[in-house]
Amino acid sequence: MDRDVDLAKDLKRAERRRRMTALALIAPLFLFLMASFVAPIVDMLRRSVVDTELAEVWPATAAAVKHWQPGAAAPDALYAALGADLKASAEARTIAIAARRLNYALPNGRSLVLNTGRALRADDTAPASWRDRLIGLDPAWGEPATLVALQQASGPATDFYLLTAVDMERDTAGAIVQRPAQQSLYLQVLGRTLMISLVVTLVCLLLGFPLSYLVANAPARTGNLLMILVLLPFWTSLLVRSAAWIVLLQDQGVVNGALQALGITDGPIRMIFNRTGVVIAMTHVLLPFMIMPMIATMKSIPPTYMRAAVSLGAHPAVAFVRVYLPQTVPGVAAGALLVFIMALGYYVTPALVGGAEDQMLAYFIAFYTTSSANWGLAAALGVILLGATMILYLVYARLAGMGQVKLG
Amino acid sequence: MQVGSVGSDAREIARAGDFVRFDKVEKSYDGRTLVVRQLDLLVARGEFLTLLGPSGSGKTTTLMMLAGFETPTRGLITLEGRDITRVPPHKRGLGMVFQNYALFPHMSVRENLAFPLEVRGVSRAEIGERVTRALDMVRLGKLGDRRPGQLSGGQQQRIALARALVFEPKLVLMDEPLGALDKQLREHMQYEIKHLHERLGVTVVYVTHDQGEALTMSDRVAVFNDGRIQQIDRPRTIYEHPDTAFVAQFIGENNKVDGTVTALGVGEATVTTAAGQAIRAEAGPGLSLGGRALVSLRPERLSLAHGADAVANHFPGTVVETIYHGDHLRVRLEALGRDDFVVKAPVSGSEALVPGRTVDIGWRVADGRALPIETPA
Amino acid sequence: MSHAPSTLTERVARIALVVSAIAVLVFLVAPILAILPLSVNDSEFLTYPMRGWTTRWYESVFASEKWRLAVMNSFLIGIPATVIATVLGTLASIGLAMADFRGKAAISALILSPLVVPIVIVAVGLYFFFAPLGLTQTYTGLIVAHAALGAPFVVVTVSAALASFDRNLARAAASLGAPPVTVFRRVMLPILAPGVASGALFAFAASFDEVVTVMLLGAPHQRTIPREMFSGLRDSFNPTIAAVATLLTVLAVALLLVVEALRLRAERLKTRAGD
Repeated sequence: MDRDVDLAKDLKRAERRRRMTALALIAPLFLFLMASFVAPIVDMLRRSVVDTELAEVWPATAAAVKHWQPGAAAPDALYAALGADLKASAEARTIAIAARRLNYALPNGRSLVLNTGRALRADDTAPASWRDRLIGLDPAWGEPATLVALQQASGPATDFYLLTAVDMERDTAGAIVQRPAQQSLYLQVLGRTLMISLVVTLVCLLLGFPLSYLVANAPARTGNLLMILVLLPFWTSLLVRSAAWIVLLQDQGVVNGALQALGITDGPIRMIFNRTGVVIAMTHVLLPFMIMPMIATMKSIPPTYMRAAVSLGAHPAVAFVRVYLPQTVPGVAAGALLVFIMALGYYVTPALVGGAEDQMLAYFIAFYTTSSANWGLAAALGVILLGATMILYLVYARLAGMGQVKLG
Repeated sequence: MQVGSVGSDAREIARAGDFVRFDKVEKSYDGRTLVVRQLDLLVARGEFLTLLGPSGSGKTTTLMMLAGFETPTRGLITLEGRDITRVPPHKRGLGMVFQNYALFPHMSVRENLAFPLEVRGVSRAEIGERVTRALDMVRLGKLGDRRPGQLSGGQQQRIALARALVFEPKLVLMDEPLGALDKQLREHMQYEIKHLHERLGVTVVYVTHDQGEALTMSDRVAVFNDGRIQQIDRPRTIYEHPDTAFVAQFIGENNKVDGTVTALGVGEATVTTAAGQAIRAEAGPGLSLGGRALVSLRPERLSLAHGADAVANHFPGTVVETIYHGDHLRVRLEALGRDDFVVKAPVSGSEALVPGRTVDIGWRVADGRALPIETPA
Repeated sequence: MSHAPSTLTERVARIALVVSAIAVLVFLVAPILAILPLSVNDSEFLTYPMRGWTTRWYESVFASEKWRLAVMNSFLIGIPATVIATVLGTLASIGLAMADFRGKAAISALILSPLVVPIVIVAVGLYFFFAPLGLTQTYTGLIVAHAALGAPFVVVTVSAALASFDRNLARAAASLGAPPVTVFRRVMLPILAPGVASGALFAFAASFDEVVTVMLLGAPHQRTIPREMFSGLRDSFNPTIAAVATLLTVLAVALLLVVEALRLRAERLKTRAGD
């Protein structure tokens, strides 16, 4: 018995040394990616629930509003804190931050805060009742919706951005409800993103299958040449390919010219800066990712199976459907998932060849980060996009095995 | 049981110098099962020792421990009295030939041969000279500038051999070096390696699962099974006087007849089958009177009909089928309670051996070997 | 396909297959070729038919300070990013191939995830993350971002090369007296070199074509070639863009051919290592 324990221990020690060396080699990249990839993404996701903007500029209000029960009358202390904070932040010129934050939740939040702040800054008399003073400046201060918005913005964490990202909000009683239709946008964007990705995936599958079959079953030399042609778009810049499609599909472009010359249409058909253009250009970009795993799988299917099926009396078409097709499923599934995953996060192609109605989730994430600085919402949309991607990636990893990820 | 029974010949060689010594070496990969158990092995300077056994018997692991690619889980390995158990491979100074040659694909033949000399810091001029000599030794002097990929299997094999010898190691290890060659080339290379060994006087430890290869090439053969050496001795002794039923069965063909030991004399035993037929045979080690035993009979040592009276054993048998093998005839008979009793008969005068015919099978005492039936451990 | 088509249906099916496959090939390749002639077309408009031959679009690209800066930025970011990705990726691949340990699958998945995580997520994450570190609008920030995006390409190609590396070669070298470092330098590295080189080219190409991180993290003077292309396509799509596109396509073809050559070389080394 002891001998066996000893043995296991010796072995473990040797194993451990090997493992330590392996880990030491992996560590630099691992740590680098942790710092330059994982940490930033986690930090960004954190922002989707962090809500400290209001509490930083209006600390007293944020503290006071926490004790208020929605439905109950607001205490004078809350108005006193709010009035003092409004005035102080207006003087410290930090009021815009509070205004921006409240504007996410209230239709006229920005003007309400800024106008009130401006009025208070000009007036140094301490009012007898902050409640009367504020409601006197704008009756909105007396509405429960305003107080609910204040409470929801008081931090430090919120589900506000995540709810907004799926077109939901909390009503004055704190229940989660659908946003009014004119304020809803993101479910539609998510649906559009999924739809475009799905259509692109299906088109890739349809176009990729015959070509993959031909490449996989061609003699080695022809196969290599065909493979180079398949890989050419893969290596060509995304921007070049977008430019090419704009040239081809524009109203005076080659495709419209050809269609008119053939008498198929009288005038130009709009094919670019709309959904058609997005689907065509994205299919072109992603088709190689569909074809490569399919070719790999098809190459691994020995021709003897088909011969055997035919020799057993199956019609070639039956043999193809019953014997060949099922064996291509792993490659087809891997390719389709890969294309779908990559399509979900596309930014550049839709931005260049799509119209305003064709922008996908990625576009809105970038938009809220840079143009409108609604970082919480950008992060919340990021949570949705990343969540969808990671779930599919795990499915892909299970299906294809991590070792199967191949290039070229 | 008797482990690695060191025969009289072996002891003699061992006295000539403990060149390599395995002392109670054990190896486990998973911490539970032993691939090599309690291995004691002596290799004499200049000898050609073959480790023979089925796959998983521990022979390759033993070689890898000697080469330094595996570390014994316990026990000691010494080379010329020096403990090398934990010395890394590159400091052992052993030549090694691999099954798939392991020639460096990105180097020319000459660069491959120069490699061991370069890492030893041999001067450029001397490297050129010694590489040329090594290439001439394997008669491939003209192919020095080729890449390994441009050579045939046999040529690659000879280059691998030359590379393992070019730095004049005292010990060369070969791991199934002929496994990838076709039959004819393999036989040719067997002689070539044997002659090189004789000419250079280098010590060779050779691993194979091919018994024919082991018998032709070796000074001694160690038969491995289940992590132990079953028998280690000269090829002829191994073949003609196997110590265990495993060795008898693994090396060459044999008919096995089992029964009970009814008489046990000096070097001779009588084994009686269940049907009461008494066979006299040479006694192997470990027999006991009244114990179970099997008699191992080599098909080529048995004769049919002719002069049966002159030998100690003869039994009737019925011919079931005959198969023509060119240089001999394989006759399958029903005899001694078995229906797969095989005799190799000369082709001439075999006209009478038609199925259904009863014949007389005869052999001398020394042509059969009685061995204890192994009880599973 | 291996047996001769016999019946009419089979012949029709085969012809349909070949025709549709060729149509898809045309779809893949023709658009890229279509833009090239416009770079020498003597017209302000990016339309056919051609109006005559000119080199003025190329001249204006080469004379332009904007494009000169973009080329410099692309290399200034791409080369260091490639070097970092290649060194870290190669080491990690060797580590991954060396031993099995718990969590290895998770680590591989993490290392490869930059291939599938939407680039905009990475860019936005870095945008927030770099700001307090003072790395936004710096070359360092962009180099780090591109190195992270390129490293998985190196891991994929080097891992493939390692998977087909015959371990007996390393053993043979050791048995011939080479210490581990020599084994690595003289035997492993030369045989893995094609895999490392194509991984580096993939990583470089990834950096060379990346727009989103440059858009979010880069300063105005740090615009790279694809970033200028992006602006050009949105704001003033003119034939100089076609000229740049042509140059980029030539580069793509060169990269593709080099990678194919490396692949063939690796394949040759592989068969030689066998029997």
